[in-house]
Parts: sequence; C-alpha cells; structure tokens
Amino acid sequence: MAVKLRQVDEYRWELPREGKMRTRGLVYASKEMLAKIQEDRSLEQVANVATMPGIVGASLAMPDIHWGYGFPIGGVAAFDLDEGVVSPGGVGYDINCGVRLLRTNLERPQVSGRMDELVNALFANIPSGVGSRRKDLKLTMPTLKQVLRLGGAWAVKQGYGEVSDLEHIEARGQIEGADPDLVSQFALDRGKDQLGTLGSGNHFVEIGYVTEIFDESLARALGLFLNQVAVIVHTGSRGLGHQVCDDYIKVMLKATGKYGIELPDRQLCCAPITSPEGQQYLAAMAAAANFAFANRQLITHWVRESFEQVLHLGPRDLGLELIYDVAHNIAKIENHQVNGASRKLCVHRKGATRAYPPGHPETPAAYKETGQPVLIPGDMGRYSFVLVGTETALTETFGSTCHGAGREMSRAQAVKVSRGRNIVEEMAKKGIVVRGAGRGTIAEEISEAYKDVENVVNVAHGAGISKKVAKLKPLGVIKG
Amino acid sequence: MIGDIRPRVRYQKYRQMAHTADAAYRLRGESLAEIYVNAAQALMATITDRRRLRARETKDISVEAPDREALLVAWLNHLLYLYDVDGFLGRDFEILELQDERLQARAWGEVFDPERHEGKNAVKAATYHHLEITRWDHGWQATVILDL
Repeated sequence: MAVKLRQVDEYRWELPREGKMRTRGLVYASKEMLAKIQEDRSLEQVANVATMPGIVGASLAMPDIHWGYGFPIGGVAAFDLDEGVVSPGGVGYDINCGVRLLRTNLERPQVSGRMDELVNALFANIPSGVGSRRKDLKLTMPTLKQVLRLGGAWAVKQGYGEVSDLEHIEARGQIEGADPDLVSQFALDRGKDQLGTLGSGNHFVEIGYVTEIFDESLARALGLFLNQVAVIVHTGSRGLGHQVCDDYIKVMLKATGKYGIELPDRQLCCAPITSPEGQQYLAAMAAAANFAFANRQLITHWVRESFEQVLHLGPRDLGLELIYDVAHNIAKIENHQVNGASRKLCVHRKGATRAYPPGHPETPAAYKETGQPVLIPGDMGRYSFVLVGTETALTETFGSTCHGAGREMSRAQAVKVSRGRNIVEEMAKKGIVVRGAGRGTIAEEISEAYKDVENVVNVAHGAGISKKVAKLKPLGVIKG
Repeated sequence: MIGDIRPRVRYQKYRQMAHTADAAYRLRGESLAEIYVNAAQALMATITDRRRLRARETKDISVEAPDREALLVAWLNHLLYLYDVDGFLGRDFEILELQDERLQARAWGEVFDPERHEGKNAVKAATYHHLEITRWDHGWQATVILDL
C-alpha cells in the first residue's frame, strides 16, 4: 500500500483520510527523518490504526516512529469510551516499559574516579541480563497480588524508597482499576522472581551527568544543574507484562470476530472498551503496569544503596531524589478537550511518553509551573534528554511526545558491525564504563545501531509538543 | 566416477531475516511437526548458544490454539514461560502429537546457568506479526517474528 503524505509544516505530515480510515494520520517528523521512516511500513500502520472503531482525533505518530506489531512504535491513538476499542497491540508486550530519572547533589569530578566501583556495585545489586531473577526476593502469590494492586506504593510501604518518591511518578505509581485476579497464573508465575530485575535488551541503569542546559529556569525548577550527576533507570514489567499481553492478544483475536470488528492487520486485535474483554484487559494491564512501577521503585532503592556503599555518603549528601518516572508503553483513561468539550478517552501510547503541560491536574505539585518532566533515553554511547510537557502536546497529541531514539540497524547487523571490536574498551575510551550480563547485548546496543536521539528530540521541541530542558551524557551503564 | 558425490541439497532449518527491532525467522521443514521443532530451536538459539545445552531434564508440554499459526505462537510462548519460571531451555524437541489446534511435545534440556551458558537475547514473546505457515516445495515453510 502506497501511503499518501501531505506536508503541513516543517514538522507535521498528514496522511489524508482515505479508504477505510475513519480519521487522518498525523506524523511528527523532519523532512530528513521522513525518508528513513518511509523505508519500513510504519506509515501504513498509522493508516491502519486510523481504521479502528471509535478513534478520536488523528492517528498520531511521534518522531521516533518505526515499524511495530500492528500499531507502529511511536504511535498514539485515543478512543471514545463508549464507541471505541482497546487493543493490547497498542500498548505492546512490555507493559509500562518506562524511564525514571534520579538527580544527585554530586558533581562529575566527585564520581569520575569511582565509576568502575559504582558500575560494579550496580551490577552486583541489580540482577540483569537474560533470565535475571532475584534470589533474595521471592514473592508469595498473595504478596505479588498486592504488588499488582498497589504498584509503587507497595514498594515504598516495604521500605524501598520514600513516600515523596510517589509524588514524582506518573499516576503516583499506581494505575487505578488493577485487578490481579484477571492476570493469569502463567503471568503471575513469570513475575514472581522477577520483581526488582532489569531484564535484557535495551533496558539499563545509567549514571550520567548534565552536559548542556537548554532552559536555565526550567532546569533549576527540576533540580538540575550543569555537571550534575544523575541516574536513569529504563525497564518495564518483565515476563509478567509480556505474558499479560500475550494472554489478552489471544482473548482479543476472538473478541475481534465476536464483535464484528473489521481490521486490516490481526495484530490490531481489540475489543470494545465497554465489553467484558476490554474491561478485563484494562484491569490486567493496569496490574502489570503497577508491577513495572514497583520494579523501577525497587531498582531505585538499590541504586541509592549502591551509591551509599561506594561513596560512603548518606542519603542527604547524595540527594538521590526522584525527578520523575514516566511510562512509554501504556493505555490510560484520561480526560481531554475535544472540540471544546471535555471527554474521557482511552489513550494508547506505544513507544510514546505522556507530556502534560504546566498547571494540568495530573502534573505533580512540584512541576505545576514547569510542566511534567519527560525523559528520553538515547543509546548507551551518546546522550539522553530531559524535556517538559506543553500545552501544544495537550491540544494536539493528547499530551504525548516521543520516547527514544529507535533502532537504525537490526540486532544482527549491529553484531556484524561490532565483530572483532571490543565495544567495552571503545566505550571506556569515550569515558563510559559499561557492564553487561551478555556480550551479545552490548554489541547489539552500540551507538551506530541507533538513530541520533537529538534529531528526534529536536522535532518534538520544534513542533512544540515538548520543550528541551537538559542533555545528559553517560559515564557508566549496566545493560541487561 | 563412483556415482554422484555431490552432497544432497540441504535446507536451512531456521534462518534469521533482516528486521530492525527484533528477530524474524524463516523456518523450513519436511513436515509440519518439524516446523514446530525448528521454531523451538530458533527460539533457543536466540536466547543462548544451543550447543552448550545438555539434555538433563525432560519436560512434557501441551498447548492449544485456534489454528496452526496461533499454535506456533502458543508453543513458543509456552517455552518462554518455562524459561522465565524454571530457567529451563530445551536442547532437543520431539512432537508427540500434532493437530491444527493442539500440540503435545517433549523437550530435553536444562536450567540456564549463567556460569556455563551464554546469555544472548531475552525474548519477550513470539508474535502474530507476519505469522505464516505455508507449503513449500515438498515440505513446509513458516515465518515468525520474536519481540526482543
């Protein structure tokens, strides 16, 4: 299928409504990026999503759009609660994969001689890699169900972190309506030993420093300053979330037929939000999302412990406070203004980050003036970005923006390119200490394998769907 | 000349195809059962170096699905489940019974040991994306994409 595109302005491209599309598509990209985007079939996927029942507004694609399963990665789609559908494919296998950023009181010189020790401590304290599991934290089924109900709050109650952390997590670390009884035993089994583990692939814990400030007053309000050390955690709901997605794709494959929903791709399988299947998926997805919030909260606790162990500093001196935690694979029931009226919608963000503006009721008190912090990780060798949400995002993209760099090379290609090279040593020469559980993962995650996240962020900033605050460069990384 | 010494043309049981984010496999087999076995081998090869696995434990597996394609996904995802829960990875597989909607199999393998086994990729799931099982030559061919 050839997808028609019409340029709206420097950063916006429209897929006009045609055929079975119920609405138009809207892609945020620069002209240069578009050529790359058109190499895969992700634009066709934007058009496919536009055919789904009850879609409100455009079928949206953020600048890091690439080919996904059914929905494109970088896709945002909102659905009417009465007429619309919910789709596990619009969330993805890693439910509530997300990013959190911790600030510190430390400046770069205070850690530069200690990076090996810090990275080793993180590696020892946070299980990572293929099949990572915790030997010291085996949950009973009733406890696991508590985790699924309470999310971040469960972790804090157990002493992992501070109550104040919860204020700085999307949805306060707990998606409402979670029902652990709608999560299969298979999923519970898979999650049981995986709480507090990083997993593999592109998940990481990174120690970095602020290398550039784009907006001084916003940075100050977020607690960021030049040369400051900060920590980024990127992981999700592990096997539990993958199993919930797989379980409910099976449910939805049947539901699609049962409710007579016509779809151009079976990975878009879905059910009406009002149907039992739709409600059950939302409740199970919320449970998996809460598991992910708890997971990142536990990892945060061990990040703090690792810094205390190595630097022999107390929590007050370290100042390892949570700036924010955002989900980038999730579907949420949210209030949005549509044609001047307030409506409740089910917003799917698959590889997209919520980006609420200053003053929004869901933006935490600390960020009422700045807008909600948005965290965009890059690849392990380059840099990551801190942005804030904007009014433009709220009106145009249901308060959403990009989520990361997106791959440029396949994993196999990346391994081929890095053959015969010592990636860990190359990174060390750049001043970045890397430890990974699998050598394969590190090879696959080389910088060249990723698009330059700066291009993605510049489009989001240029289009006004978020605002650049600071840029962080890595000093040390643990990879799965 | 003593007869034809050319080796018999062999097909590749599984072959990785170019795909940016994940692992896509083209599977071939003389029988449908072989497709399921080769898919399992491809999955194991994604996670670790299969050659280092030993057949120390046996698992009996039974999965059901609405059709043979969905059955392939269900089979692979069940193997992922066994891995997440027990750390079990299969070295050899045998399909004991196969219908379009049901599969019974036995797997021989062992628990993943980071000291002895290489951790290559964590696989989130086998997906329905571009999922296909078709006749090929005198056998079968399938495509499956793993989400990494």
